Amino acid sequence: MSHIKELTKGIFKENPTFIIMLGMCPTLGVSTQVSNALGMGVSVIFVLTCSNIFISLLRKIIPDSVRIPSYIVIIASFVTIVEMVLHAFVPSVYEALGVYLPLIVVNCIILGRAEAFAGKNGVLDSALDGIGMGIGFTMSLSFIALIREIFGAGTITLFPVGSFSGVITIPGLSESPVRVLTLAAGALLLMGYLKAFFQWKTARGKGGEA
Amino acid sequence: MTRYIKTGVILFLICAVCTALCALVNEVTAPRIAANTENDRLAALADVSGGFTIGEQVDVGDGSINYYIPLTDGSGIAGYIVELSTSGYGGAMTVVASYKSDGTLMEAKLTSNSETPGLGKKAEEGWYMDMFKGLGGSSPLPASKSDLSPEDNAAVSGASVTFGGVSSALISGSEFVKGLGGAV
Repeated sequence: MSHIKELTKGIFKENPTFIIMLGMCPTLGVSTQVSNALGMGVSVIFVLTCSNIFISLLRKIIPDSVRIPSYIVIIASFVTIVEMVLHAFVPSVYEALGVYLPLIVVNCIILGRAEAFAGKNGVLDSALDGIGMGIGFTMSLSFIALIREIFGAGTITLFPVGSFSGVITIPGLSESPVRVLTLAAGALLLMGYLKAFFQWKTARGKGGEA
Repeated sequence: MTRYIKTGVILFLICAVCTALCALVNEVTAPRIAANTENDRLAALADVSGGFTIGEQVDVGDGSINYYIPLTDGSGIAGYIVELSTSGYGGAMTVVASYKSDGTLMEAKLTSNSETPGLGKKAEEGWYMDMFKGLGGSSPLPASKSDLSPEDNAAVSGASVTFGGVSSALISGSEFVKGLGGAV
């Protein structure tokens, strides 16, 4: 497989959220606002890429019997670094992500890619895999958050820049939003419909039953 | 035996490198985090002061009460700001609250916490503390969700542990202020 395919496979073909169904907990928990989704997405891209590179570099040194504890130590270190950097430089995102930030340590995407890919492949491919999977996760998370926030709250929350407060209010929807979409039950319902849509698209692409 | 030693050394080296990386980043970020925390604390004090003059901090540190600060107007003590430690669903939480001398809650703000976004995090929003304002003097503060109106009860549903943490902290703050009896 070429390097480009390693990068792009995580975005569509092996999208971690809609195809592999990994990292569901933060997907459902954080996707209440677009800004939270972007913050979590960027954090995951950083941790996934760095841990993939580190694990790939050390794959011939780490004994097979202790590979999982070693992977966890490496992943936890990068999560701690992200946590400290966000706390210092983007405190609003740090506060918004709350408990989900340290929980990146146990995000199945990170350990899953370390075990399935980085532990068996070269540094460049592992880095591209981390970036691609991270981008795929960020896109999915932001897409879910966008739908949930638009219909559930009638707003789109981004980051404040200059005189722009960061919140776009959608007339009509902000007065009478579909509140269930902001709750966990709404997130599960939406995930179900989106998964069905992507399943249908994949089946159509393969020429199978739609 | 050699295999176990080799495995142990490799694990030790991985941990040492990771610890060094974290220590390096901590060295850079710690002063900034401390400054952010202090700014947040000062902003919270200003928010709950109700326009009164903020006095000198008096450390208490008895577990739930971290410190108190007298609030004064032109004629004397108008109330107190109390910083309270409590625990919620995500662990330790800090509440900054201002009370009249009779223990009536004037303003309150949840500052540091790790509550769940969309659930316990709602306690950071302005409307949340409105449930408690004006209570604690002649009328008691709500100790459980059953003491709330049906609307407020529904608003805090799904985050009972957070509510319990906030209400118990505010009640202990009110009792503490009553004990001060208007003294500095």
